[in-house]
Parts: sequence; structure tokens; C-alpha cells
Amino acid sequence: MTLKRMTFLQHLLDFMGLAGRLHLEWISSAEAQRFVATVTGFTETIRRLGPSPLRSAALRRYDNISAAPVPCSGPASLQPPAMPDSGIQIANG
Amino acid sequence: MTSIQQQVHTWLEEGRVDIFLAYRMVEGHPLPHAFTRERIDETDTLVTGPARYSLEKFATHIASRYPDAKIGMVARDCNQRALNVLQVWNQLKPGQVDTVPVNCCPSLLKPHADCSYLEPKPAGHVKLERGQDPNQSLAQADTLPRAERFDRWMYEFSKCIKCYGCRNICPVCFCKDCSLEHPDLIGTGHLPPDIPIFHLVRAVHMAGRCIDCGLCEDACPAEIPLRLLYRKVNAIVKDLFGYETGSGDTLPPFSILGDKPTMSPQPLLAVSQE
Ligand code: SF4
Ligand code: SF4
Ligand code: SF4
Repeated sequence: MTLKRMTFLQHLLDFMGLAGRLHLEWISSAEAQRFVATVTGFTETIRRLGPSPLRSAALRRYDNISAAPVPCSGPASLQPPAMPDSGIQIANG
Repeated sequence: MTSIQQQVHTWLEEGRVDIFLAYRMVEGHPLPHAFTRERIDETDTLVTGPARYSLEKFATHIASRYPDAKIGMVARDCNQRALNVLQVWNQLKPGQVDTVPVNCCPSLLKPHADCSYLEPKPAGHVKLERGQDPNQSLAQADTLPRAERFDRWMYEFSKCIKCYGCRNICPVCFCKDCSLEHPDLIGTGHLPPDIPIFHLVRAVHMAGRCIDCGLCEDACPAEIPLRLLYRKVNAIVKDLFGYETGSGDTLPPFSILGDKPTMSPQPLLAVSQE
């Protein structure tokens, strides 16, 4: 069950651009070495991926949109909304 | 009297159903309405047309209060799929809801169609630049580089005003205590709500449930392309487990404990540096 859900979630997160940051593994308390290898390996992967984009998202920065922002001459209501400070803390995101 | 008005009249009169859910013209607007035997003359005002509402959601509310009520309703394909899901999830008893099929998706055999979704709204230029076009295909949504995909979805989610419209209209959102209102799961007191958690929680709950009616996207005042997101949910459920939500009476993959695992833990999804 957990396996199904986690696999599903890995695909869903990838769809919205967050891949490789979720990992599932069963390790028995007797498998210390496997635990070390898994945690070390995953830590390396995360380091390679760099800081989570959720952090910069929390700071309301959207830098990766390739289309150059086109000045919008319409009424203020058409302007992309200013990102309000939501006070979100994504400490464990 | 149109033939459908006649049919509903007969069903109520004969006691085939106690209550019939359909639409009625009120001040020029087709509104959902419950027709009953006590006020049987109202069937004269029953209308069909492009208007859509999750009538089956009313049916679940009626069924939870009056478990033995016989309920009738007009049903398009999407209503029918929702009824299937609601039975699978034990919200309705099999056979409790009797349907009168009404016109729906167009085909070569039946070009005339009645559905509010057949005229998709084009996306405006701000949405095309910064957000996700609701009319794009899943394949298109998957081709953008990951970082851009992420920013575009976050832009969309950041517009959320936490009105719960998507959940309230959804025919298959039936939980008594909704996770979205749990203060320990979704922080309270600020807008937008915790993103992307708010939207991902609902997306995960839609796995094995969403019947792709698109009412959530219609209802969303912030025009967040929710249907696109849940289409992906459905696609994953289909690809991974071969399950087609709403197609029949089989349990969704997440409710079945298999005899033995048929999957193995995935290594990390291959991530190329983009
Ligand atoms: S499309 Fe939206 S409203 Fe319809 S079943 Fe799916 S989540 Fe619910
Ligand atoms: S969002 Fe989730 S918890 Fe809330 S009603 Fe829908 S399925 Fe239930
Ligand atoms: S309908 Fe739209 S704005 Fe309202 S809670 Fe759902 S996603 Fe947010």
C-alpha cells in the first residue's frame, strides 16, 4: 500500500517539477550497513539536486519561466498578482 | 410536456423513485432541483441543456440521511462515472440511484451535444506566459523543463483563495472531516494557503476517485487548471495500476492489499540535470 502511494506520489511530484526528492526503502534494524548506504546515497542525490525550489518559492521567486515577461498594458486587474507574503514556512518541505 | 418531463412524472407517480434530481428553469436560469411526488406538477418546469452540476453529490447527502430513499436523477456520462465511484466507495448502495440518461458528449452518430464543457475558455496572455494553459495536453505539460514546470504550477497555485469551491463541487469529495480543513495539515490564517501542499493533498485524494468531470476547474474562481492536474493523477493511476477510475465496480488500487507485492521500490526517478 505504502509502496503504491509513494510510487504514485513520485510521479505526481515529477509532473509538477519536483523529481528525485522522495525515496522509499525498507530497512530492517539488522541492516545497519544498508541504512548507512541508503542515507548517504540519498543525501548525495539531494546535494546534487541543490536547494529545494520550495524554498525560493516560499520567497516568492519564479525565475525559471523562460518566456520573457511582457509588460502588460491592461488594467491593474490584468497584471500578474503580486506575491503576498503568506508567512508560509516550508522548513520540512 | 417533453418526453423526459413525462418520464419523471411517471416515475414519481408510480413510486419508482421518491425524489428525482434534475434541473429546473428559475428566472431564466437552469438550477438543480429535487422533484417530489408531493409537488409533482413542478415536473412541467424540468429542463435539459448544457448546465451541469454534481447531482450525485446531492444524492449522497440524501442517502446518508435517508438510507432507504429511492433516488432518481438525470445523468450524463460524467454523472454515471461518479455514481460508479460513489458505489465503489460505499457512499451509495448499488441500485439506489436510478438514472435517466441525457445528451452528453458529441460523436459521429450523435452530433448534438449538451455540456457546458464543450466550449473551453482560451487562456489569456498572462496565463500563457507564467502559468499552465488548461487546454494543453498532458504530454505538452510534461515537456517543459522541470524548473519551469514547477514555477508555472506554483504561479497557478499561488492564486488560490482557499474558497474550497473545488472540493465543494466535486462529486467524489465526500469526507466528513476534510484534510484540507485540518489546521495541523494545512496552516490557517494566510493566503494563498500552504502551496503546493494544499493542492497536492487534494490531488492525492483524487487518485482512484476523480472521474474527470471538470467541475472543479469550472468552479475555481482563480482559474487554476485543476482538471489538468487531476488528469495527470488519473493517467498515473492508469499507467501504474491499469485502473480506470469510474469505469466499473472494481476497488481502486489503493484500497486493495495484494497477496504479494507486484511492485518493487523504485530507485530514485532518474533526474537529469536541467
Ligand atoms: S474533475 Fe474535479 S470535480 Fe470532477 S471528479 Fe475530478 S476532482 Fe472532482
Ligand atoms: S479534499 Fe480529500 S479529505 Fe477533503 S473531501 Fe476531498 S477527498 Fe476528502
Ligand atoms: S476552487 Fe480554486 S481558489 Fe478555491 S480552493 Fe480550490 S483551487 Fe483554491
